[in-house]
Amino acid sequence: MNKSTWLVFFLVCFCTIQSAMGQNRLAELVDFSCRDCAPADALVQLSRQTGVNIAFGDRLFARCAPVNIDIRQTPLRQVLEQISSCANVSFNFDGTQVVFFRKNQKYTLSGYVLDSETGERLIGASVRAASEKNIGTVSNEYGFFSLRLDEGVYEISVSYIGYRQERQTIEIRRDRLTRFQLHPDNSLPEVVISEKEHADTRQQKGGSPKYLAGSDLQTLPMPGGEADLLRQTALQPGIQTGVDGLGGLHVRGGNADHNLFLLDDVPVYSPSHALGLFSIYNPSTVSHVRLWKGDFPARYGGRVASVLDVRTRDGNFRDYHTSVSAGLFASSASIEGPLERDKSSFLLGVRTTYLGPWVDFFSKKGNLLTFSGDKVNYRFYDANLKLNYALSDRDRVYFSYYAGGDRFRNSYIQLYNGTDAVVTDKYNITSEWGNAIAALRWNHLLNKNLFTNTTLRYSRFIYNSQLTFNSEALYPSGKYQILYDYAQLYQTLIRDISGKTDFSFYISDRLTLRWGFALTQHNFQPGALSVNFQLPGQSPTAIDSLANILQNNERITTNETEAYFDSEFEPLKNVHVEAGLNGSVFQGENVNYRSLQPRLRIRWGRNTGWNIWGGYHQMSQYLHQIGSFNVSLPFELWVPSTQKVPPEQVRQFSAGISWQKRGWSCQAEAYDKNLDRVFTFLSSNDALFTGGAEDASGWEDRIASGTGRSKGIELVLEKNTGAFTGSIAYTFSKTTRTFPELNSGREFLFRFDRPHDVKIILQQRLNNWLDASAIWTYATGNPITLTGVKYHHASVEGEVEREVFVYTEVNGYRLPDYHRLDLALNAHFNKKKSRHSIQLGVYNAYNRSNPFYLSIDTSSEIRGKAIQYTLLPLLPVFRYEIKL
Amino acid sequence: MRILIFLLAGLLVVQCAREVIIDLPEEATKIVAICHFTPGQPFRIKVNYSQQVNDGTVPTPPTDVDVSVSKNGIFLDKLFRKGSGKNIYWESRDTVEPNESYSTAVRIDGLPQAEASSYVPKHVRFQPVSIRPEDITVVDLDEGYKALRIPLSLELLHIPSQQPFFAFNLTTDIDVLEYIDSVAVVDFTYENEAAGYSSDGRTLSLLHNVAEPVVLINEKFWAQGVRTLNLNALVFYRPGQNERPRRLYIEWRTLSEEFYKYHLSVARQGNNLPLSDPDAVYNNVLGGYGNFSGYSVSVDTIDLPAR
Repeated sequence: MNKSTWLVFFLVCFCTIQSAMGQNRLAELVDFSCRDCAPADALVQLSRQTGVNIAFGDRLFARCAPVNIDIRQTPLRQVLEQISSCANVSFNFDGTQVVFFRKNQKYTLSGYVLDSETGERLIGASVRAASEKNIGTVSNEYGFFSLRLDEGVYEISVSYIGYRQERQTIEIRRDRLTRFQLHPDNSLPEVVISEKEHADTRQQKGGSPKYLAGSDLQTLPMPGGEADLLRQTALQPGIQTGVDGLGGLHVRGGNADHNLFLLDDVPVYSPSHALGLFSIYNPSTVSHVRLWKGDFPARYGGRVASVLDVRTRDGNFRDYHTSVSAGLFASSASIEGPLERDKSSFLLGVRTTYLGPWVDFFSKKGNLLTFSGDKVNYRFYDANLKLNYALSDRDRVYFSYYAGGDRFRNSYIQLYNGTDAVVTDKYNITSEWGNAIAALRWNHLLNKNLFTNTTLRYSRFIYNSQLTFNSEALYPSGKYQILYDYAQLYQTLIRDISGKTDFSFYISDRLTLRWGFALTQHNFQPGALSVNFQLPGQSPTAIDSLANILQNNERITTNETEAYFDSEFEPLKNVHVEAGLNGSVFQGENVNYRSLQPRLRIRWGRNTGWNIWGGYHQMSQYLHQIGSFNVSLPFELWVPSTQKVPPEQVRQFSAGISWQKRGWSCQAEAYDKNLDRVFTFLSSNDALFTGGAEDASGWEDRIASGTGRSKGIELVLEKNTGAFTGSIAYTFSKTTRTFPELNSGREFLFRFDRPHDVKIILQQRLNNWLDASAIWTYATGNPITLTGVKYHHASVEGEVEREVFVYTEVNGYRLPDYHRLDLALNAHFNKKKSRHSIQLGVYNAYNRSNPFYLSIDTSSEIRGKAIQYTLLPLLPVFRYEIKL
Repeated sequence: MRILIFLLAGLLVVQCAREVIIDLPEEATKIVAICHFTPGQPFRIKVNYSQQVNDGTVPTPPTDVDVSVSKNGIFLDKLFRKGSGKNIYWESRDTVEPNESYSTAVRIDGLPQAEASSYVPKHVRFQPVSIRPEDITVVDLDEGYKALRIPLSLELLHIPSQQPFFAFNLTTDIDVLEYIDSVAVVDFTYENEAAGYSSDGRTLSLLHNVAEPVVLINEKFWAQGVRTLNLNALVFYRPGQNERPRRLYIEWRTLSEEFYKYHLSVARQGNNLPLSDPDAVYNNVLGGYGNFSGYSVSVDTIDLPAR
């Protein structure tokens, strides 16, 4: 050892000995007595008695009452603590003297973030102590926030996209309940799917959740100008839609039913209209949207792929406002206002479509109709109502209601002029389906940092189809005869009634706990059929069998109990952990499934610059909508887990890295998702026979259980500030399925596997009232099963002959690549008492014929000749909106 | 608004359907062999060629084919040609024996040899069926038809733990009576007429009409200890035409795995719908296509009470 090393060694030893001696002094046993002494006097007396110097400020014990102490053979430390217990103080012993000092007191700053004009609570607003870099939070689903701060004076900064940043100096000397009111900044350009300032908090780092602001939904070009939440959600990396943007979302290789769609915290079973062309979310009523792609926290359960949590607006608390919007396919209107100023408000939104003529037009154009007298009509509608009432600063009740539905009708009358009679065929099919959703919610602030939310929920989806077909003959003699008469009614539904309570405990700025439980009763009617059938010779079979089916119609009731515990904490500086556990029990007929689903996510990083994260999430799903088609069809049944159909299970690993600075951000996230159990119908006929036109009996025996895997990497580059904003997202992925009963048990590509997926969104603010936007999307074509070979099956006697097509590989071919360019110009005009917006543009600008469906022409001389059907060619985009 | 929509729509250059060419790899022609065999009967094998998917012609069976059958791996017989035209087939002199495994080889010059194997499964019968006359009901139909509804409860003696593959077929004999001096005598008989059936919803959903004159029972029907197939046989007749149901035949087959999988997959493919993945047909012919499969069969006869 050299000299300096020895010196350090001796210093350390000296200090250790001194410290030990000092600790020994505090451990010395003393006798001490003092009657009616002021604490300061008692300390002086103790100092004299023990010879230990005791230092303290005059004001530390100013508010203390005199003390009476009479103790024997007690350690000096305990005596000091007893004398000073009346004050908020602590002490140190530095080896020579005891020094008293004031303790740092923590207080809670909690409250709500509101829109200053409407009084509506803002979800996801950032609340930060400006001088404390790492202290901040975001307002929860009900605009509530809670921060733990040391005693002192702080400049609190509150920000939210589309609002002016609010800065307030607040003195924290006690717990405070406050309100921050943000002023809308109409000069800010509306930016699509940006994270901006409210991303500047720890909760929103590391990929999930993705925040989609309700105000952002109006600016991108969509078919007919109808802003749509699901189509915009599909612009996120890792999310695929069915063919041509239709038919549900497929998140990281999941099925369409693997997504939990919430509307004001109530599950929605059919989130779209018109085969997925429009979502049920009326843009004028949407406030806030959050999206998790498989890595959702433990407070969400029941699905295995993603969560789309949509919250509707509360309505204006101060003034009455209306807005009317008209596009090429749909119109909507909303009215909102106070029921009691600053205390209660309402919001009513309605939307309807005039898509029917378009459907009829394209059906004729595409030769999809059989007869010239064929008529097709289609429409949908939505209605949202929200009421809320503030019982006090700490209590508020909400009521949300949604009703929406679709109606499709196809009919024709065909006349045949025969030599002996005039025959009239009449055909009519009417299908109606829709959701009804209601929630009654009570928010209550139990104390400064414990927030509770209790909700009663109702959700129902029903599909109803009526088919009539009859044939009549009128003879020259005047004789009238019914040749054929058939009527059918089919109905299926799922209905949930549930109660749910959530607690959010904001213990400190480094620790938040959430827990809660929910009880849900699911009622299923997988299919009910009523038939009236007349056909000479065949009727008994049909009547008999169908009557039996009706008697055999299943009504299933199941109960689901769910409890969760979620925590967010920072064990080390810049290390953020989200850990939780979701436990559930599912009880059905003769089944009792239980599941524990751990969720973990760890992130390292600061507010700007680099962030790195990784996570493991495990999910289970007890309800299944088992489909077999390339688009999600409304008649596909929702069914529960049963003895033969156990819950679906998914495990997902994900890791990512991101960088963010000066309005730019880039992110890369990789995932590996194992679908340990997934289902499909064994054939499309089973799917239709079960779900569509016939009955649902035996559905459990017609489905196959298998596994799946999806892995990929998602890259995103975004610019969120300035006149020019946009994003480029690229996903490279592979998704497969394996079912013992399909493809000879070999693994095959999932029907929505698209290895390359590019989404580019660009927006340019041209001036204060005009902006332009463009979307270009590209994706590898969907896998498809095709054949080049066939043969004739014939029995020896020749009484049966059938053409058999040889499919050697399920999904062995691919449809042509998908790509599309959408353009729009958005103009905004502010008048004295109104605001006008006009959107003009074009969807699929270069009229790309993207394949919706393809069938091989088996009669053509040209090998490989196929007919490709396109649903969405070049379409105009137009919408006019006025807000009063 | 409606007028505006049509004006805009009229301006659009839309095309909902268009022809495209898909790169389908050319596949060589292969032998197609189809044979279902059962004890007591000779092997009858239909041989043909596979076709390109866009070939619209009905293929003519080849006449120069070498077909042989082996039993348990030992050569058994060379088959000879029978039939004519489109209905040519190859038949063995030896008959099929129960509970044995067989294989076949089919050779045509210029094409790869096709080979396939299967077996005759051990037959599983049901308990003797007894029908009480009072359980049979008559249903009045239109156009002068009536139907006898005959409840059948087919309880299997046992269910194989593996491969419970079964099929059934219901046929009937209907006498046509002639009245001579008010005495009814049988003028002639419609033999082996198809009879209908009905059942509960679950059962119906697990029955498949296949490319053979039998109804396939899905193996999942026998799950959870189910041993009985309950049906209502439906025998249609016209009393006004002096018809009278006389017998009901219950043909019951125990199927090999090859028979079951092939016919189930052919039936499913035949029902494929647009916008869905088509079903691949099971193939147990190496080097070719088709099906070579065995089954066991029994026929129970029920004499129907005179009415």
